[in-house]
Amino acid sequence: MKYIPTIGIECHVQLSTKTKLFSEVDNDARGKEPNSCVSPVDYALPGMLPRLNGEAIKFAVRAGRAMNCEINRSSRFDRKHYFYPDSPKGYQITQFYHPIIGAGYVLLPSGTQIRIEHAHLEGDAGKLTHFDSYSLVDLNRVDTPLIEIVSQPDIHSAKDAHDYCKELWRLMRYAGVTYGDLYNGNMRFDVNVSLAPEGSEKLGTRAEVKNLNSFRSVERAVEYEIKRQTKILEAGEKVVQETRGWSDATGETTGQRSKEEAKDYRYMPEPDIPPINLSAEFIEEQLKDFPLMPADYREKFGEIIAGDTLEVLLDYPELMQKLDEVKNVKLMSNLFASVLLAEEKSAEYLNDLPSAEDLNTLAEMNAAKELSSTATKEVFLRLFDPQMKGRGARNIAKELGLIQENDLGALEAIVDAVLAKPETAKAQDDFRNGEEKVIGFLVGQVMKESKGKANPSAVQQILREKLTK
Amino acid sequence: MEIKREDIIHLAGLSNISLEEGEIEGLTKDLQSIIRYISQLDELNTDDVEPTYQVFEMENVWREDEVLPQDASREELLALTKEEKDNQIKVPKVL
Repeated sequence: MKYIPTIGIECHVQLSTKTKLFSEVDNDARGKEPNSCVSPVDYALPGMLPRLNGEAIKFAVRAGRAMNCEINRSSRFDRKHYFYPDSPKGYQITQFYHPIIGAGYVLLPSGTQIRIEHAHLEGDAGKLTHFDSYSLVDLNRVDTPLIEIVSQPDIHSAKDAHDYCKELWRLMRYAGVTYGDLYNGNMRFDVNVSLAPEGSEKLGTRAEVKNLNSFRSVERAVEYEIKRQTKILEAGEKVVQETRGWSDATGETTGQRSKEEAKDYRYMPEPDIPPINLSAEFIEEQLKDFPLMPADYREKFGEIIAGDTLEVLLDYPELMQKLDEVKNVKLMSNLFASVLLAEEKSAEYLNDLPSAEDLNTLAEMNAAKELSSTATKEVFLRLFDPQMKGRGARNIAKELGLIQENDLGALEAIVDAVLAKPETAKAQDDFRNGEEKVIGFLVGQVMKESKGKANPSAVQQILREKLTK
Repeated sequence: MEIKREDIIHLAGLSNISLEEGEIEGLTKDLQSIIRYISQLDELNTDDVEPTYQVFEMENVWREDEVLPQDASREELLALTKEEKDNQIKVPKVL
C-alpha cells in the first residue's frame, strides 16, 4: 500500500526588538554572560507586572503581511501553565484564544501554496543546559518576543517541508522582524508528520518532532519519520501520538515525553495585559514602506534572471533591494551571483553594498563598451573595497587603466592621424581597390597609436566609414 | 462535575507537587466543594453576554522599545536560588 505523508509545521521566530516582550531588558543576549539580561518581571517576583513592548505589535503586523495574513483587529494574551525550570513564572504568556495574526498563505519557489492557520505573539522560555547529574538555567532568553507561525497540514514531502521553512526564514528577514540567525536558534521548527493510505480522507496519527533548528534537519527528520512510520504501518501496527527529539548526529528521531493535552495547560486570560485593539490607520502606518517579498521578486525578475540564480540571490534581502534600484538588472544579477557570492567574503561584503548610482555607472560603461566584461568584474569587486569604493566606478576604472577608448571624437582624431601618415597610404589604396584584409593592418596601427586603449570594433567601423567616403 | 482521586494526582503531577497519601482525600473534597460553589454560576443564562476578559476599560497599553537599567542585579537573582553554578541556576537534572 502506498502511504501519503501529511505535514504541518510550527515555527518560532525570535523578534529583533531592542527589549524583551514584557520588560525593558536588553533583548540581544548574544555573547553576554548568563543571567545578565534579566529583570524581576522575567522571573516573576511577586508584585511584578508585565509591560507590553509596542514594537513587538508593530513587528507582528509586518510579519503577518509577509505571509499574506489577515491582521486581527482585536487580540489578547493568555497564560499557558506548565511546570519546568526554564520558566520561573510557572506559565508562558502567549495568545491562545485571540492571536494577532489570522489566516494567510506562503508561496514556495515551486509555486505550491501552504496555508497559514494563524500566528501569535508569545514570550520565549529560558535556556537549559544538561549535565550528568544536574541542569543549569540561564534566564537571558526568558520573554524574548517570539512569533509562532502555525501552518495548515498542506505539506506532503520532505522537500516541501524544507522549502517552506526556508521561505519563512526569507519572509521574516525581508519583513525586517528577525536577525534570522539559525545558528543561534533565532528560528526553531516543530514538525508534525502523519501517514495515511493513498486515497484515504482521514489523516493518520501524528508524531511531532520538536526543536529543529536548520532547514536540513527539518528535511532529514521528515524523511526519517516517513520511513519509520511506513515501517510501523506496513507491519500492521499503530503509530503512537508523541513528541520526538531529533539528533543530527545519528540522523534519527527518538520518543520523548507523552504530549500534554491542551486542557492540561489550564489556559486563562492574562489579567495584567489589556487587549490590543488595532485601528485600520495603525495597521496601514506599519505597512506604508513595506518592501517587496520574494514572491514579488520572482514575478518581477522571473524573465530577466535565471531561476536557479534568482533563488540563490533571494537569500539576501539587501541585495534584492539593491537589484530593484539599478537599471541593468541582468548584468548586476550576474555580477552579484558569479563574482560576489563566489567570493569567500561575500557575507561581510553584503553588509555594505555599493550605491545604485555606482552600479548604474558601471553598467553604462559596460554597455558603451568602455569596459570589457573582465574589466567590468574587476571594477565591480573594487566597488566593495573599503579603500576604493568612495571614489566611484568611473574613477576606479580610470585609475586601474581599464577604460577602452570609445569616445568617437577622440577615436576619430587618432584614426585621422594614422591615415595622414605616409606609411599607411598604400594600405588605404589597397582597401579602396577591394583588398578587404588590409583593414586589419590599419586597425593595428590605430591601436598602437592609442596605446591599446581603443575599442577595436569601434576603430574598424570608423576606418570603414572614412575609407569608403 | 465530580472530582476524583485521579484528578488530584494528575493536577499534582502538572504542578510538580508531591502529596502524602492522607492529603489526597482532603484535597479531593476541598476541590469538589470549590467547584460546587462556582457551579452556581451555571444557573445564569449567558447566551447573549460577551465574555469578560478584564474589568478595566483599558486597551493598547504599550511601552516604548527602549532598554532601561534594571533595579535587580544578577547577584540578587542568584541569591534567591537554592544552588548556583557558573552564574547559572543549578537544578536537579530534567529532560
